[in-house]
Amino acid sequence: MERSEQLSIAEALILASPEPIPLPRLASLIPSCKPAVARALVDELNAEYLMRGRAFEIWEVAGGFQLRTLPAFASYVQASQPERPLRLSQAALETLAVVAYRQPVTRAEIEHVRGVDAGAVLRSLLERHLVRIAGHREVPGRPLLYATSRRFLEVFGLARIEDLPTLRELAELAPEGPAGAHPTLESVGSVSEAPEPPGQPADEDDADVSDDDEYFDDDEDPRSESE
Amino acid sequence: MSAFPGELDSGASEGSSGSPYAVKLALFEGPLDLLLHLIRVNEVEITDIPIARISEQYLASLETIRELDLDVAGEFLLMAATLAWIKSRMLLPPDGLDTEGEGPDPRAELVARLLEYQRFKEVARELAERRWLGRDVFEAHASPLESQPESEREIAVGVFELIEAYRRVLARAGPSAAPHEVEVETVTVRERMRVVMKALELRPSLEFTECVLTSEGVFPSRSIFVATFLAILELSRLAALRIYQGVDERGGPQGPIHLRRSDDPGSGAWSEQVAEIM
Repeated sequence: MERSEQLSIAEALILASPEPIPLPRLASLIPSCKPAVARALVDELNAEYLMRGRAFEIWEVAGGFQLRTLPAFASYVQASQPERPLRLSQAALETLAVVAYRQPVTRAEIEHVRGVDAGAVLRSLLERHLVRIAGHREVPGRPLLYATSRRFLEVFGLARIEDLPTLRELAELAPEGPAGAHPTLESVGSVSEAPEPPGQPADEDDADVSDDDEYFDDDEDPRSESE
Repeated sequence: MSAFPGELDSGASEGSSGSPYAVKLALFEGPLDLLLHLIRVNEVEITDIPIARISEQYLASLETIRELDLDVAGEFLLMAATLAWIKSRMLLPPDGLDTEGEGPDPRAELVARLLEYQRFKEVARELAERRWLGRDVFEAHASPLESQPESEREIAVGVFELIEAYRRVLARAGPSAAPHEVEVETVTVRERMRVVMKALELRPSLEFTECVLTSEGVFPSRSIFVATFLAILELSRLAALRIYQGVDERGGPQGPIHLRRSDDPGSGAWSEQVAEIM
């Protein structure tokens, strides 16, 4: 098959996919195409979009490829959307940061890092599907464990959780951050749990339902908040 | 907009009294944040905090909040106590009995926490600067084909969504639906698992709410209700059934939650698995 034809098929598949299309799936749908070739096709498409000044590009997010508008057009597209643009408070961002780097993490651990109560922030992050419950820690009290969700990867444009810069890299960038000044901070860069696989139900097999009152203080439909 | 007012839109609402101080203090995320601010304005090193000066300014900040009649959150007071303790330890002469020389710096733990928090603030800043979906960039929207029997796909209906649905049923049924009950019922989760699976043998798909309400759409006794809910969770865990929900155009869950028999060939073995587990 001609490469130009493969290129068009790849473009059609990515455009028509309702969610990020994983590389192996993309390759399997294009006749005589290996994953490495499929990736090269995506790169070629992006180069073409850039050259022709198109208003979109292909992103690799949450384990798949997706067409997204360029940031330059954000204000126009925002105005066209029924929902208000996504906003997250400083508290929400800091909590997400701790969850992202320490996952799976308990509420108490998050509160220790930030020095403030994390209950309400965690609830709103759960409602926005940016954070998920990843089971229990098997210690007395069996506290719930929190982890980032697939939605987190989509919103922050990450192909996988490992794509976040390590804390040490960030410390090197930050002028005031004395890198590795304390030994307990050295181990923080690694993420101890892989993100949930795309399209799979979250692994909350052993999440306890009995203490739901900790998370639900009202009868609001959380889905009305999700974008 | 948010179910938790003031949570996502920062604490700035606390400053609605109009005082510049109130706004400013509400902007601190917590005691660690306030301390980092004081360290910055004093141009001192985190690793060598002049504890007397910083704790004095810290207390002065809390005093300002109190004068403005705002509640000082407990965590701010806890930090004030920690600072006072460190200050007192710094004033003590080194322990004469300790032949190892100087003891550990009483500030060490606080320094470690401040450095760690500062690092996560940096991560938060990094996250804030990314191109967010729904703010900076927008995805191309292709909806799943209408020709599908139901515009449903299996989504990650987590325990969170399921509990939400459970609470909605509870709310719909209202307290009056289950009047005073005296008789003691013996309901087991296992029994309810059989009932749910039997219903699924008759019909390929059931709505979650039909499963938990009785055939007349009435709220059953609380024990049956709870047992059924647990039964559904357990059956899902055993992969005997799958839980589906429609999705809206942005990928969020929408519409009723449906239960379907699993197509997995091994799912018929659910009863043996139940017998084994319970």
